[in-house]
Amino acid sequence: MKDRRPSLFDVARWPIAFVAFLLLAWEGAVRYLGIRSIVLPPPSEIAVVIATRYDLLLTHLWPSLYLTISGFALSVVGGIVVAVLITYSEVLRRGLYPVIVVSQIVPKISIAPLFIVWFGTGTVSSLLLAFLIGFFPMAINSAMGFQSIDEEIHKMARTFMASRWQVFWKIRLPTALPHIFSGMKISVTLAIIGVIVSEFVASQEGIGYLIKLAGGLLDTPLMMAAIVVLSMSGLVLYWIIELAERRTIYWRATVENLAESGG
Amino acid sequence: MKPDTRLKLDARSAHEAGDLNAVRLCCIKKVFDELEAIRNVSLDVAHGEFVSLLGPSGCGKSTLLMMIAGLLFPTSGEVILANAPVRGPQRDVGVVFQNPVLLPWRSVIDNVLLPIEFLRLPVEEHRARAVELLKMVKLEEFADALPRQLSGGMRQRASLCRALIHDPGILLMDEPFSALDAITRDELAVELLRVWQATRKTVIFVTHSIREAAFLSDRVLTMGRRPATVIDEVHIDLPRPRHIGITEEDSFNKYVRHLRKSIETSHEG
Repeated sequence: MKDRRPSLFDVARWPIAFVAFLLLAWEGAVRYLGIRSIVLPPPSEIAVVIATRYDLLLTHLWPSLYLTISGFALSVVGGIVVAVLITYSEVLRRGLYPVIVVSQIVPKISIAPLFIVWFGTGTVSSLLLAFLIGFFPMAINSAMGFQSIDEEIHKMARTFMASRWQVFWKIRLPTALPHIFSGMKISVTLAIIGVIVSEFVASQEGIGYLIKLAGGLLDTPLMMAAIVVLSMSGLVLYWIIELAERRTIYWRATVENLAESGG
Repeated sequence: MKPDTRLKLDARSAHEAGDLNAVRLCCIKKVFDELEAIRNVSLDVAHGEFVSLLGPSGCGKSTLLMMIAGLLFPTSGEVILANAPVRGPQRDVGVVFQNPVLLPWRSVIDNVLLPIEFLRLPVEEHRARAVELLKMVKLEEFADALPRQLSGGMRQRASLCRALIHDPGILLMDEPFSALDAITRDELAVELLRVWQATRKTVIFVTHSIREAAFLSDRVLTMGRRPATVIDEVHIDLPRPRHIGITEEDSFNKYVRHLRKSIETSHEG
């Protein structure tokens, strides 16, 4: 098909080249200027740390990743359920929806210590923070999606005697999918932040804990290695969602095409 | 035109019912927020008749159509379909809208089959009929294409198939060609007549194109603006099947002139 979206590789080629250039410049600058590794280790040293201490990194990555994915999954389910309720209940749409929108202002991170008080320093706090922080964009995006049903399509469905249930499954849900996926992309990155922050605050494991620990030991290369591993995992999660989106929303080739067929 | 075998697709259509009129509007009045939109419109449409409602944009003719479709209700008066007052959307009605309103994630044939799903009828059993309808409008090659791969005219053809898939007795068309270019419009008008000739549905066609109304209809009702009311009724006694060439003949243009005049006088009033 001619109007296919460019593949991930096509899109990624230039940014990869740019990052490679940046790394080279970094490596050169650190060596040339003789910056101490404790302040700024060169990329090669970080790579060596990742290669030699991968055991330690992975041991701490898994719990974080596991909590991130669980918290994210909860926020997706919770967000979509609340969005459906908002869509179909006049009372909730008028009462709850504005509250959800406004409560976005509360920096969820600031609640982390409170969760520690309530739920202790274990996984529950991390999970809840990851869920809470990812929930809001998920709920708001999905609610917007469910309500963005085209009025003319709705009218058409009604003339053919479609039930509310049929309208939901056959029209509202597919219409909402692009919004749901953008919500998921925001939520997954936020879920990572939620987990890391709660690990900063109080935890005995996890990549956030490792970063804090390495910082305390002034082991900057390990700290940066942990950050790299964490970022890579985040990238992979994002990429999985992006891939799922491309598969699911097959009918939307490009934005221009969509605008054109809107008529 | 050779006898059309496709006719047997539509076992239930047109003349079978015992009553005289397919659609009957009795003294319809519609008031929107104290603004009188429609005043005292009465109309009888016979089975298998092709009636056009002709008038300027925003004169309430689409509102009238949506009342027949059961999406809107008159403030006073009654819409009667098959001897029963309309209380909501009806199974025996198919609607073609100004825009094709196809679902972009569904293939053409699945869009055509959508009403079957909504009406909870067996989809697989209607697939053959969907293909047959698509053939009738020369879209069978595009059955598995997505709507965005189709031109505007093709999309509107698909939407006509969708309106006919459940074999309704009544076809309501709300300015279906007004979003298309002039050449495609003429093409689709000819196509519609061919389909109508084959299926003999009762058609109520809303348009603001005088020529379109005269070319297609058995009867044209012109409507004046605000509050909308029927100001003239013209029977188009041109032979059928009609060919697009007829639009250059005097007999046709006589009707066009008459309709234009009656619309113009309504504007003066």
